[in-house]
Amino acid sequence: MDLGFLNNLIDGFIAAGTLNNLFFCLVGCMLGTLIGVLPGIGPIPTIAMLLPATYGLGPLTSLIMLAGIYYGAQYGGSTTSILVNMPGEASSVVTCIDGHQMAKQGRAGAALGVAALGSFFAGCVGTIFIAAFGPPLAAFAQKFSSPEYFALMVLGLVTAVVMAHGSLVKAVAMILIGLLLGLIGTDVNTGVQRYTFGVEELWDGMDFLPMVIGLFGIVEIIKNLEGPEVARQAMSTRIRDLWPSLQDFKDSWKAVIRGTLLGSILGIVPGGGVVLASFAAYTVEKKVAKDPSRFGKGAIEGVAGPESANNAASQTSFIPLLTLGLPSNAIMALMMGAMMIQGIAPGSAVMQTRPDLFWGMVASMWIGNLMLVIINMPLIGIWVKLLSVPYRLLYPAIIMFCMIGIYSTSSSFVQIVLTAVFTGFGYLLLRLDCEPAPLILGFILGPLMEENLRRSMVLSRGDPMIFFSRPISATLLILALIVVALIVLPQFRKTREVAFVED
Amino acid sequence: MIKVKSPRDFGAGLLFIVIGLGGFWFGRNLNIGVASRMGPGYFPMMLSGLIAAIGLLTIAKSFTLEGPELEKPQLRPLFFIVLSMLAFGYLIERIGLALSVAVMIIIAAFARRAKFNIKETLALALGMGIFAVFVFIYGLGQSLPAWWGK
Repeated sequence: MDLGFLNNLIDGFIAAGTLNNLFFCLVGCMLGTLIGVLPGIGPIPTIAMLLPATYGLGPLTSLIMLAGIYYGAQYGGSTTSILVNMPGEASSVVTCIDGHQMAKQGRAGAALGVAALGSFFAGCVGTIFIAAFGPPLAAFAQKFSSPEYFALMVLGLVTAVVMAHGSLVKAVAMILIGLLLGLIGTDVNTGVQRYTFGVEELWDGMDFLPMVIGLFGIVEIIKNLEGPEVARQAMSTRIRDLWPSLQDFKDSWKAVIRGTLLGSILGIVPGGGVVLASFAAYTVEKKVAKDPSRFGKGAIEGVAGPESANNAASQTSFIPLLTLGLPSNAIMALMMGAMMIQGIAPGSAVMQTRPDLFWGMVASMWIGNLMLVIINMPLIGIWVKLLSVPYRLLYPAIIMFCMIGIYSTSSSFVQIVLTAVFTGFGYLLLRLDCEPAPLILGFILGPLMEENLRRSMVLSRGDPMIFFSRPISATLLILALIVVALIVLPQFRKTREVAFVED
Repeated sequence: MIKVKSPRDFGAGLLFIVIGLGGFWFGRNLNIGVASRMGPGYFPMMLSGLIAAIGLLTIAKSFTLEGPELEKPQLRPLFFIVLSMLAFGYLIERIGLALSVAVMIIIAAFARRAKFNIKETLALALGMGIFAVFVFIYGLGQSLPAWWGK
């Protein structure tokens, strides 16, 4: 194996290791955990909410801070799952099962400690994964031109649909609606305005911040306000002994390794990512356990496996984005949006033109993971206190941060109105059981997909067979067809339904 | 008689059809072009058609497959939260960050069904308004009007 990537990695550490970058990485981790720990708020709204804070920074620094926010949000979510049994998002659902049971038995410290250490280990492995597989994949992608990119996006979107939870048909519709929304603005080829309704703010395309904040942040608040007000009882007892015991280590290290490997691989699969990784890891742990009946009653492997898996996956899901320019899930779509705002088009070219950016970011992921372990262990008491703040005081503050964030990036009332529109739309989707995450993916890919389709068609003079006469694009499309065929098979459908049901 | 067995799917199908038709209607003046030279209307029309088709499919499905009932929507939280956001956006240039945040928080407090607690709400509104000015304007240096409009 070519070990040249180690040198690059060292360069990356030098680029990322400036005091300035480290500072913003720390701030990102702290803010991410702070918001992520709030019950019911998953990584998507957390990132969306904090995105404006990174706009003023340089490209590398802002990406480093974003990555910090992402890991922080994820870690914060696990903390909430374990302590209050309220998962902020689908990937923490499994952590709740055994994690909260452990907390009830007074072993919250061990659960949190194992989650943190397992995540850190998974993060290290994930970083090496990216460093090792990123460059060859990017080199391969250099051969791509428009038809290949189009085929790749089709494959990515198709797998994203299969891996999404909920109705398949609705997920397809969400992606298509996202693609359509992505086309709002001035058409680059002809200069014609599409769906702008004469609103000046839409000429350059719609900002994705109002959309994401509306669909994910505000709708979540409304959903929580509709339910009965529950007094959250955080487990504040006995989390002083944070370190897992020697016995806990013995019980969980294998689960950590299994989870890490599983997560690293599943993270690369488009659409799969974090949720699938944690569910799969839980299933695996249950299968290999000598006594599966312990699961659901506070089995430490049930925390160690999924937590390692979801952190590994959240790391390796950067691979398709950074090397192929293909976001594999809604969070990566957000990252891509943030990169484009910084003037970077993610993809194979980044590694050639801005190696400092690529390797700096890879290095910063590891740094971010380390910081999380360091800050979360001692600060856990503060996060627990935060959990006991009543929701009636929290939600106005969350709305305030969202609104100031949106307003300060644009100084325009129109963006606030757009947020309101998407809040209404998101509420409708919630009531109609439509999961909006695929919409974000479509929105980011919309213009790219159209551009590549157009170019391919110009290349072939309008013959759609071009996608099948080129070997790489043909392979990608055939893969997409196989995935579609799999969905139709009843056997697979059943497995898919089972995979997303916790029990 | 045909009966809607899955109201949520029926509603979603209707929504998709409306969006698809909206895509057609508002894009009706866009030039479609031909496959080898796609106009600005080609891709949008394709997407709108697909969305509408999925809408029809979803509606058809809602007649055959059982699904959960629609939940009765509670309009109170939605209404007051959206109103508070719009009020903030409309007022900020006119009365400054501190006061518009305060107004937003007071309106948002009505989104709860529980009894309105005047003292607590006012204290929160005032505190948040001042906090916002210190953090976002003095701390992060954002150019927003602080205590009164421009």
